[in-house]
Amino acid sequence: MPRLPGTVAFRLSLGYGVLVVGSMALIASLFYFGTVGVLSKGTDRKISAISGRLTETYRNNGLDALEREIQSLLDDGIDSDTEVYFLAAPDGHKIGGNLAALPQSTPFDQLSDQRVTRAGRASLSRLLSRRLPSGEILVVGRDMEDQRKIRLLVWRSLAIGGAVAFLIAIGGALLFRRQMEGRIAAIRRTAAKIETGDLSWRVPRSASEDEFSRLDRDINHMLDRIQHLMDGVRHVSNTIAHDLRTPLGRLRAQLDSASRPGKTLEQVTLAVRTSVAGIDDLIAIFEKLLQISEAEAGARRQSFSPVALGPILTDIVELYDAMAEDKGIDLRIEIGDEPATLGDKDLLAGAVANLVDNALKYAGVGATVLVKATADGNTVSIVVQDDGPGIPVEERSKVTERFYRSVTSRNQPGSGLGLALVRAVVTLHRGRLHLDDGNPGLIARIVLPRADADPVQLRRVQAGQTASIV
Amino acid sequence: MAVRCLVIEDEDDTAAYICGRLNEAGCAAVSCGNGVEGLRLAAGEPWDVIILDRMLPGGTDGLSILNALRDRGIATPVLVLSALASIDERVIGLRNGCDDYLTKPFAFEELQARIEALLRRSAQKQDFAELRIADLRLDLQTRKAERANRPIALQPREFRLLEYLVRRQGQIVTRTMLLEGVWDYRFDPQTGVIDVQISRLRQKIDKDFAPPLIHTIRGAGYMVSVNE
Repeated sequence: MPRLPGTVAFRLSLGYGVLVVGSMALIASLFYFGTVGVLSKGTDRKISAISGRLTETYRNNGLDALEREIQSLLDDGIDSDTEVYFLAAPDGHKIGGNLAALPQSTPFDQLSDQRVTRAGRASLSRLLSRRLPSGEILVVGRDMEDQRKIRLLVWRSLAIGGAVAFLIAIGGALLFRRQMEGRIAAIRRTAAKIETGDLSWRVPRSASEDEFSRLDRDINHMLDRIQHLMDGVRHVSNTIAHDLRTPLGRLRAQLDSASRPGKTLEQVTLAVRTSVAGIDDLIAIFEKLLQISEAEAGARRQSFSPVALGPILTDIVELYDAMAEDKGIDLRIEIGDEPATLGDKDLLAGAVANLVDNALKYAGVGATVLVKATADGNTVSIVVQDDGPGIPVEERSKVTERFYRSVTSRNQPGSGLGLALVRAVVTLHRGRLHLDDGNPGLIARIVLPRADADPVQLRRVQAGQTASIV
Repeated sequence: MAVRCLVIEDEDDTAAYICGRLNEAGCAAVSCGNGVEGLRLAAGEPWDVIILDRMLPGGTDGLSILNALRDRGIATPVLVLSALASIDERVIGLRNGCDDYLTKPFAFEELQARIEALLRRSAQKQDFAELRIADLRLDLQTRKAERANRPIALQPREFRLLEYLVRRQGQIVTRTMLLEGVWDYRFDPQTGVIDVQISRLRQKIDKDFAPPLIHTIRGAGYMVSVNE
């Protein structure tokens, strides 16, 4: 369990709690000044107004009129619970009003809260005292008990509300943290499993569609890709170890027997020459493996540019024309619609040459090999079709694996890497290699994105639709 | 005068092999096993070609030697030898100013072919109106070939192939070089396909005439020359 302040969840929920409390405080103060504040301001205004009116009465009609006015205000039954009036002689003696005595230390012409005794009961009142021109003191006020209670009530409810909100914020933060930790724990568990070497683990899929499930999905895709690459590496190391052993063994045997006593110089020279040729073959195999892995790594994509397929096919067919003639094979070419793709001219030419080479090698005397390029919709296709024996269905998916040699081809020269290289190059070009039955013969089809194809359509092509994908 | 080669290579066996074969081929080869000394030699004496291993012990590796040479304005052709074979490494080498890049392990004939190509490149380029070897004559303007004054019918591509070989007479030309120079494609040709083209050409050039001009160099490629 990590220390609480160190977790992102804690920090997020702390920030969230502070935000909640802050906005609560803002709302509360608005509410407070909107109620209690307005109320007390109204009271102040009313006191000032009444005091002014009474002073006016005194000025116009004299002290008696004022006394009568005060009396009638006290008797009119309006606000009789809260109103405060008091008139005192210049020496402080009570002339009229409902206070027991003149409150002490009342500042003149200024509103203030004072403890007073009214109707035999002490209470808090807001008072405005004025000295009349003839020396008498007029006090006008309001009992504030009720307002005090209201204020208390508002304060209390704000305090309780605030406390509850705070608790809810903390609870929410804890819940939030637990949820987040739960989602992250799933990812961390997977990472831990992967770390121990079990690449097959994936982050469990969750039902909801949120940021975390998107992250889970991205992580799983990444893991899929890594596993695929790792499998590839493992497979390659296995096959290399396995398939290079045979030629190495042969070389060793040749050199060993050449070094036995009693060999003539010619025999030794011959053995050394054969061995050098054998080593050259091995070097060529390494070269090809390197090319395959380079194509699979995809780094060369950066230098891709639009490539017209027509000229490439024409050149390759011309290159192989003589060989086809020697083998008694009819090599034909068909180009339609100026197909073009984004790619590397040399890699594509190499791939086509490989397919043509294969066709010439396996189709047999009297066969026809057709090399064709077409543009269809968002893709372009290169087809190399022969009417030879073809490849049995069960072998078709294997022939593009490194070092795979079909039963019929084992006695032919070759490394078993040609089609693997073709497939790697095609994949590098975001295309697909299909091997189909030509009835009779083999149809090798390279489907590539068109140079100017719409990217959305392309993704659909890359997702693959044909059943015979290898 | 013999071609002066400097071989900067720290593996003694490889260095001895390269120098031995170069001397056999009539070059004057000097080898050097470390970077600092190599740079001193490379910059201090005139060479026709420098063969440089990329990875050398000590602080000075092949690429820094190359940079130092080019910084001093020394334009001697440099062929970099390296076990780093990827395209990226090749590009790094070429960017740093080497003239060719050969990956280990290599066949000596390949190295020789490349050295010859470098020497030819650094020699003055001449524009011939016609090429000749023995009694074979190639008219580069009319694109016609004749041997012993008898015209030989060649396809345009066959003429280019022959022209490429004759321009490099006495030098080994690999199949990859042919594919690049004549067909303008850079990929590993399957051995058979270039051989068939050459044997077609041989039928027309050498079959009814003596001496044979097109020779197969085992493990490397071809060479056009009067004597074997």
